[in-house]
Amino acid sequence: MLDFGVLKKQIDQMAVDAKTMQDDFFARIDLAVSEMDRWEEPWETLVTKIRRSRTSWLVANASGPFTEVCSRPERPAELTVIAADGSQIFPDRHEIANCFLINVGYVVLHYGSGERPVMSSEPSLFYEEEDMYHEWAGKRSPVTREIVGVKRNAMELDKVVALAAEAKEEGRTVVGLTDGTLILWMLEGKPYDFRRETLQMTLSGLEQLRELRVPIAGYISDPGSADVVNGLRVGLCPEQPPDCDRCPWKAAEAQALLNLDDDAQKPEPIPCEPIAGVTDDMLYVRKLKSGERSGVFRSSSKILEDYGPHRICFFYVHTGWEVGRVEIPEWVADDEALLDLVHTTIIDQAEKGRGYPVVLSESHERAVVRGADRDIFFKFLKDSYVKNNVKAENSLKQLKKLAATV
Amino acid sequence: MALAKVDTEAFIGEVIESSTSQFVAESRELNGAPPFGAFIKTSGAIPVYGLVFNVCTHSIEPNRRATAYGLTEQELRNEQPQIFELLKTEFEAVTVGYGDDRGPRQVLPPQPPGIHSFVLPCAESEIKALTNNGDYLRCVLSGNRLPVDDLIIASVRHAWAARAFDMPYLVGIGKDLCRLIRDDYDRLSSIMRRISQ
Repeated sequence: MLDFGVLKKQIDQMAVDAKTMQDDFFARIDLAVSEMDRWEEPWETLVTKIRRSRTSWLVANASGPFTEVCSRPERPAELTVIAADGSQIFPDRHEIANCFLINVGYVVLHYGSGERPVMSSEPSLFYEEEDMYHEWAGKRSPVTREIVGVKRNAMELDKVVALAAEAKEEGRTVVGLTDGTLILWMLEGKPYDFRRETLQMTLSGLEQLRELRVPIAGYISDPGSADVVNGLRVGLCPEQPPDCDRCPWKAAEAQALLNLDDDAQKPEPIPCEPIAGVTDDMLYVRKLKSGERSGVFRSSSKILEDYGPHRICFFYVHTGWEVGRVEIPEWVADDEALLDLVHTTIIDQAEKGRGYPVVLSESHERAVVRGADRDIFFKFLKDSYVKNNVKAENSLKQLKKLAATV
Repeated sequence: MALAKVDTEAFIGEVIESSTSQFVAESRELNGAPPFGAFIKTSGAIPVYGLVFNVCTHSIEPNRRATAYGLTEQELRNEQPQIFELLKTEFEAVTVGYGDDRGPRQVLPPQPPGIHSFVLPCAESEIKALTNNGDYLRCVLSGNRLPVDDLIIASVRHAWAARAFDMPYLVGIGKDLCRLIRDDYDRLSSIMRRISQ
């Protein structure tokens, strides 16, 4: 039960803080935009500086000026767009049985031909020992929500690959889209064998798409990333080369915090600080017009070192509603025809979906497992257990939640 | 109950709601419902005969509404193909009889049609058997929430067409209607006028 009396005061304070931050932000964005323009000509200097820097944040690697803008290419009259999205019922030890469910929704939309689309979903139930327990780094542990998520992502990609192979065989021009990032962020700090297994699932899917020459792209709506802004922060740093670990301004700031003498001189502000907090979409919403995309950047994420030819690159695109981030493997970025195809498809999809790629929202609709579906799933499970004379019991905690007494 | 053999190629819909006096079917094709006032029957051991009184097309999901795109149907099929998978057509029928070994009977069935039974258009012979007199019109006149007058007009025109627009049949049905709506001359004459238009 929420105490709204207490909560309301906290919400009001949050709104006041957000307002203060917002006012300060416009000035920061202005500065970031002017920084971007400043580096238009000597962009190679900035790129070299970035390459030699050591930063504590992710920085975009560019092979052209940060100000590069590409207009929308023409979409092929006939085009097939494929997407898959997953949803799940997580394992819950308070329920009657230890299992989880993954529902993969998938959509194949053929444009320009008037053909009927494919819109469906495939549920898979996992309950066997090898699904429910894993052994990584010599430690056996039960399946977690994160591992279910990893499995779901792999199944989504597998579905896109299978559908793409089918469509390609029929001689179609195909683009595959996924919801969200193609970078497996969750691998950071995970055991080696878990990383290897997960990476292999993703990379084999990407490799098959490369062989089929079907471009795949991850679309991120409302991206919070700041890789490009971080590049500009490197540009603001007077150090040669910039190294966040040896930042003299940060050291001075830390020293000042220790200094209890009020009369002591205030430390100089950190040179890269004035544009900190600005995100790339705030920058590009000023730079791009509807339908345009930025240049292609390489992500500097450590995880991508194991991606080989599938190293993830990204660009920003103005869909007319928002600036979204599009992630693509390097082999798509290096192939002008595939890159143009992804660019035009994303814009066209967002127009059709009135702000968000229609193929992604429809595959989500196919995938989604709602609360009512979850209840029916457990009812079926219970009925089937009872029919087969298997013990079917909720935990006492679960029962107490269902029928709390006074 | 043994099911009658159904020509699965010919079915036009499938029953999704059923009661003794009315049933609702989902059309096999989007916008493919039988016309208003058409005679239809359900598959099953006891076929149930009905008269279509309402056709509607809407989103398959209650929380998603159709919105305007400003495109022609062909443009929509080319550029927004998913929307045709998200819409469905349903039609409602008022029950006017059922079939037994002697053919169609103008009486309500002992059991409503089964959910998921197929819906087929009636053959000419069945329409003739159901409409050989004006008795079926009593089901229409006594039905709930029916567009009674228009349903009489449309169904009589279908029955008349099944008889190759035979004039003596129309005169006979006209006499039956006179008996059924004798207390409202204006209404009766409007119905008669519109049938023969």
